[in-house]
Amino acid sequence: MMRPSPALDDESLIAALRLASGRDPVPGHVSAAARAAFALRLPGAVTARPVPAAAPAGVRAAEPDRLLRFGAGTLTVDLEVGSSDGLVDLAGQVSPWPGAGSWIEVRTPCLTESRELSPAGQFAVTGLPPGWFSVVCHHRGHPPVATSWTRIRP
Amino acid sequence: MTPEAQVLDQRTIDAVLVGDQAAWDVLVRRFEPLIWAAVRAYGLGPADTADAVQGAWLRLVENLHTIRDPGRIRAWLFTTARREASLLCRRNRGERLVADPVEPAGAGEHTPADPALAVLTADEGHRLWQAVETMHEPCRSLLRLMAAAPDAGVHQLAGRLGMPTGSYGPTRGRCLDRLRSMITVQETAP
Repeated sequence: MMRPSPALDDESLIAALRLASGRDPVPGHVSAAARAAFALRLPGAVTARPVPAAAPAGVRAAEPDRLLRFGAGTLTVDLEVGSSDGLVDLAGQVSPWPGAGSWIEVRTPCLTESRELSPAGQFAVTGLPPGWFSVVCHHRGHPPVATSWTRIRP
Repeated sequence: MTPEAQVLDQRTIDAVLVGDQAAWDVLVRRFEPLIWAAVRAYGLGPADTADAVQGAWLRLVENLHTIRDPGRIRAWLFTTARREASLLCRRNRGERLVADPVEPAGAGEHTPADPALAVLTADEGHRLWQAVETMHEPCRSLLRLMAAAPDAGVHQLAGRLGMPTGSYGPTRGRCLDRLRSMITVQETAP
């Protein structure tokens, strides 16, 4: 839930003054990223929303805020976030196992990595660029389930 | 921004909903100055600023199918962008948020529009600047400089205003308070 804010906070006033003065144009790369975001739409997908994460069996993490959990219906996606050399590593578990032939995609605005799920429903992707990502679970006969966009900067 | 630019026409929205990239580009061009200004006001670094802006767009893409009232896209984007920027500020202040686990409101939900949106129009921006021009120093120069040099650091801004670095933040706060009360008085005047 959003916290209630004063009717007109400092940030709104600053934004209004700067917007009206027209002295701070949107940089080209920011604009290009906004246009490119449309290619990441996934019609028909079900969004898995964040739910409080508990350490799932078999996933270890030194810091509890590096564990993320997303849920949609009965499907749960648990993620452990790691990093090396400034890049992001994700180890995940889809439960219950969606069945044979199911696979996941880890999507970022600049690249997508696909992995088959292990029979235990696990997957791992390493070396992702820091920033926004979403994990999409594809399983036969069902619409894809996509975790809501989440930002990671190690 | 002209008043009519605050709402996209239904044809553009319909085209966006069926996957028309050109229509999306129209939507981006229409609203990106607002989103950019909203996020920039939080004073984040370049990477965080770009992340917060992109986060707002990604969330709109994610929630497109829930849109029932296209007239609310502007308000939804504004609120979402401010929320992303605010979360990054909190994280940078030391709150431990590797990722953002908070659920955004659905695009179709009838949450009340942020009252701040009312000042983010061309007419209101003009009125704000008229009020600034009637302010005493250092407020008039400070607010002009703040708008004209959005990338300047506190040290640089304070130097140009001839005040100690530590005074810039509190002075800016007082100037914004005064501006806020001025436009509020204008609103309530008969």
